[in-house]
This record gives sequence, structure tokens and C-alpha cells, in this order.
Amino acid sequence: MAQEQLIVSIGREFGSGGHLIAEMVAERFHLPLLDYNLLQEIAAGKNIDVSHLKKYDELPRRHFFHRSVKGHTSSPEVNIAQMQFDFIREKAAKGDSFVIVGRCAEHVLKGHDALVSLFINGDHDKKRERIMKLYNLNFEDAEALMQTTNRKRKNYHNFFCDTKWGDSRNYELCINASRIGYEETADICETYIRHRFPDLDIE
Amino acid sequence: MGSHLLTTASVGLEETAHAATEAVEFGTPGIVALVIFLIMFALVITEKIEKHITTLICGGAMMLFVFGFAMGWRFDMMWSVGNLESMTHLGFWYGHSDHGAGIDWATIIFLAGMMIMVEGMAKAGFFRWLCMTLAKLVKYKVLPIFLVFMIMSACLAMFIDSITVILFLAAVTIELAHLLKFNPVPMILSEIFCANLGGSATMCGDPPNIIIGSALNLSFFDFLSNTGLIAGVSLVFIVLYFFLCFRKEYKAAGKDIDVSAMPDPKSVITDMRGFFMSIGIFLIVVVLLVTHSMTMLSVATIGVIAAVITLLANLKGAKHILKLVDYKTLLFFVGLFIVVGGMQNTGVLKLIADAIAVICGDNLLLMVAIIIWVSGIASAFVDNIPFATIMVPIIETLSGGQTTTLHTLAYSLAMGTDIGGSATPIGASANVVGVSVASKAGYPIGWGRYCKYMAPATVIVMLISTGMVWLMFGLI
Repeated sequence: MAQEQLIVSIGREFGSGGHLIAEMVAERFHLPLLDYNLLQEIAAGKNIDVSHLKKYDELPRRHFFHRSVKGHTSSPEVNIAQMQFDFIREKAAKGDSFVIVGRCAEHVLKGHDALVSLFINGDHDKKRERIMKLYNLNFEDAEALMQTTNRKRKNYHNFFCDTKWGDSRNYELCINASRIGYEETADICETYIRHRFPDLDIE
Repeated sequence: MGSHLLTTASVGLEETAHAATEAVEFGTPGIVALVIFLIMFALVITEKIEKHITTLICGGAMMLFVFGFAMGWRFDMMWSVGNLESMTHLGFWYGHSDHGAGIDWATIIFLAGMMIMVEGMAKAGFFRWLCMTLAKLVKYKVLPIFLVFMIMSACLAMFIDSITVILFLAAVTIELAHLLKFNPVPMILSEIFCANLGGSATMCGDPPNIIIGSALNLSFFDFLSNTGLIAGVSLVFIVLYFFLCFRKEYKAAGKDIDVSAMPDPKSVITDMRGFFMSIGIFLIVVVLLVTHSMTMLSVATIGVIAAVITLLANLKGAKHILKLVDYKTLLFFVGLFIVVGGMQNTGVLKLIADAIAVICGDNLLLMVAIIIWVSGIASAFVDNIPFATIMVPIIETLSGGQTTTLHTLAYSLAMGTDIGGSATPIGASANVVGVSVASKAGYPIGWGRYCKYMAPATVIVMLISTGMVWLMFGLI
């Protein structure tokens, strides 16, 4: 029986080009890409303003500033994350195919038959160089932004998952995109996915 | 004015105050007890481990390290802190009993009984029906809904735990917000505040009040005529305050909406027989609570009655209702009472009381202000239940066995702990639940947005409380 669903989760270091590679993979398999727009979809479904949700996206719970009572938490970060996790689960359960960037998707959908989990990292200097170009920043600011963003992503992931962010044991494939280039990394991802699901039929 | 408000429930107060002052002088066991308490507090705040596990482990540690190793295996103290014997006394169920240091089983049994009753009411659709009926009564106009829901929140929270009140009220508010196209956040915030305020009005409204009332043998009516009066006056100011804050936003909202498309309140009742039964049970329990100083039935007995009649009325669903009871909270209380009992028996609490006494001297006016504001500020950031539990023996010691002083301090403590919690999103359980329900529906409420409206409201009520306690007890 042909594989009719494909979900590609892509974890990434800031500056590694992971998002760009996710776009390429999505394009090659003609799949929708879920990233920041995930909240937009959720907000549209609930008829609410997305701007209220965005500032809590992909952030960990701040200790000492929040409390839990009977399964409820006062942390907007946790509530927004759970909202996204539920949305991802529902989408996967409906049989939808998609590429998703970050949002602990490899953990949230762990064990799902259609899931392929990837992690994109990069060399420190190459990542910084890319951030300098992309955001028009000087050396120090790019370095600071990279460190802060990666720390946030790590804390966010490690708060919600029982596995560590970037630990190769949690992903099917980890690639250093700085060494071979973004297009080539996307090629490897595509090849891997096609080998993983030789009878893929998601049209 | 103050003295005649004090009713007769003072039997046993001198004995409990004496028991508190009779505690062992502060020494090595006290240091160990204090360390265990601080570890427990830190773990409760960080939530690394579930709260009930934390308090039970710390309770066990208190037994082992304080009463065992540090005090030379004082099995008599272990038994006394376990307090199981209290349930064998007639006064535990009927009349008045000496609470002493240790597990307050009356509070735990009462809470369990109320949890069972509330689950029965929720199952039948009572809360949603009430909210929808009131919304329909004011013709689905947003500003009147806003005002009515605030008052309803306060009234319900007088008898039902504020978590349940907010859980249902916030959910219905969001539902109405979608139908009537308004922002539910200001309404949810005001409901949270009023639930905490309503909870302060009665002995069963907020856990600190149950702890204070049960430990000091105060009646439902004692609370109603003291904290209830303060809460009632405060509610007038608070409704006005929130009205002024949000009137512009809600005045324009909900226009051009077809009210005929609104859901019929009757449609939310899941079980008509259960619905009427739950209203009947609720009314019986309210009557029992209001009259318990006359009937001499203790809160433990009322809790048992509430549970038994709810289960009998829902025989088929009894198992399901029992499963929904929040056992974790009850276990949290058990562990907490053991830890606080350990602190009391090792002189730690007396030490704190002595320090407060040194600061205040004989100035009761200052003592009242300190109790209200310190407990208020502390409750804004830490769980008010452990705080109230440790403060009860402290105010007993501070009162020096004088009933009037003890009551003055008890109501000050109740108002401080109940109201202070409203100031921040983490101060009280109702806040956490309300903020969570709003966030899950796509309306996240951060600290800034929350405190902007709630902190000034808290200060207003704390000022009113301080002034009224001073006035009611003839301190000014």
C-alpha cells in the first residue's frame, strides 16, 4: 500500500539555513510549510488576532513567574505552545501532509508513521556570517542574536520534550548545512525521504 | 461596633493559644524544621515536583528528621501531628473541638465534601445554565453582562471554590465573546478579582478561611459578619472601578447582534433530574453552613453530608464523581499540615510571632496593618495556603489568649491572604485557571496586562480592609 501521508519535522539552529532548507523540501514535495504561519492558521480558526499570540511563540515557561493549578498554567508561553501542539496533532491525525519547522514537532508527533525528523545545524562562523547578511548586523550583534535565539530555542525544546534539543538520537538525520550548502542539504533530505518512503504517493 | 460582632465561637481558643505557646523552645529541631519548610516552599514554587508529592515528602522528612532524629524519637508528637484521634471526639463532628498542631482533618473532610458536591453540580450543567440564564436576562447586552457576571462571580465564590467558579465563568465568557464579538479579557480579569473577593466573605469561600476558621473555631456567620461585610463594601468599589476601567470598550460592543441566534440556557442542562437535585443539594449545604453555629454541626459534618447526599442523588454516576475529586489537593493539605505542625512544635512559629510582637509592641492597630499588608504582599507571589497555615499559630501566639485580639488578627489574616492573591497572575488558583482558560482560547494574558488592572484593584481592597478592621474593632 502506498504511503499517502508525509510529515517532515525540521529542527534547526539559528543561522544554519534550516528554514530555507525546509522551504526547499516543502517545494520539492509540494507540501505546505508550517512555521510562524501556524499561529496565523490557529488564530484564523478561532477568529482571534494573531498579534496577541506571536510574542509568546517558541518561548519556554519562565520559572518563578508562573504557577500551575489542576493542569492549568498561568504561563501564556506554555498555553500557546500546547495550542500549537494540539493543532499539529489534529492535522497529523486528519492525514494531512506538511513540513513543519521547530515547535517540538519531532517530539509531539513521535511514533507517527508518516513522520521524518531532521535537524539542521551549521558551523559557528558560517551561521554568524549568514545572520550578519540576513539581518544587516555587525559581528557582535549577530553573535549576540545567535546566542540568545539558540538559547531560547534550546530552553523551549527542553522544557516541553523529554529529549535534548539537537541531540542526534532524537532525529533520523542531522546535517551540517554549512559544509555542503543549502541546496545540497535539501537534496540529501529529499533523497533520504524518498528512500524512507519508496512508495510515497502524496499527490 | 467591633466587639458585638464577635460571636460565641471562642470555646477552646485559650487552650489552642496555650498549646501554641507551650511549644518547645527554638533549637536544633527548629532549625531542621525551618530548613524542611524552606525546601518545601522552594519546591512548591518551582513546580519541579508535583505539589502534593513535595508536601508529603517534606511531611515525612519532618516526622523522621525533626520528631525522630533531632528530638529523640518523640512518637507522642508524631501521633499528635497526625491528629487522627481528633476525629474520634464528638466535638470534631458536633460542637467545638480543640484543633491543636497538626493535620486539620476537618478542613480536609470539608474540602473533599464540597469537591464532590461541586462535581455533581457541574455534571448536571448547573454553572453553564446559570451564566447563560443571566446573559439572557440582560438581553445579551455586553455592559450589563460584564456587571452581572462580576456580581455572580463574587456570590458563587462565597460557597463554591473559586477555581470551579472561574473555570465555568471564563469558558462561558469566551463563548459569549465569540457570539457577541467582544474582548473577553477585561471581563475574565474582573471575574477573577470578584471570585477572590467573594471567597473572602465566607468561611468556605477560600481555603485560607477554612483553615483559619476551622483552627480557631470560628463560624460561617462569624466570617460573614466580619470579612463578609468588608467584602461587600469592597465589591461596590470594585465593580465601580472595573466599570470605569472598561466601560468604553464594552459600551460599544455587541451591537447589531441577532440575539435570537443565542443558545437557549435550557439546552446546556445535561441531566434535568440531576440539575434540580444539584440545586437542592447546594441550597441544603448553604443553609447548613449559614446555620452551623446554631445547629452546632461542624464543617467536617457538613462536608460529609454534602458528599453523601450528592453521591446518593447520583448513584449511577457516583464512581465517576469520586474519580473527579482532586485528591492531589487533599494530599497537598495533609503534607502541608504535617510540615506546619512540625514548625509549631519546634518553636519556629513562636519565634516569628515574637519577632512581630517586638516590632508592634502592644499596638494592635499596627499589628493589623502588618498582618493585612504582609500577608497580602506575600500572597501575591506565593501560594496563600501554606502562608495562612503557618500564620494561624503565629496569630494565636500574638493574641496572648485574648479572644478579641485573636479574632481581629484572624479576619485581618483572612482578608490579606484572600485579597493579596488577586494582584498577580500567580497569586491565587482562580487567577491561574482564568488566565489559562483565556490563553487556551487565544487570549494570552501576560503579567503586564494582568497587573495593570488587578494590582490597583488589590490595593483598593486592602486599603478598605485595613480601614474597616480598624473601625469594626474600635482601633480608631
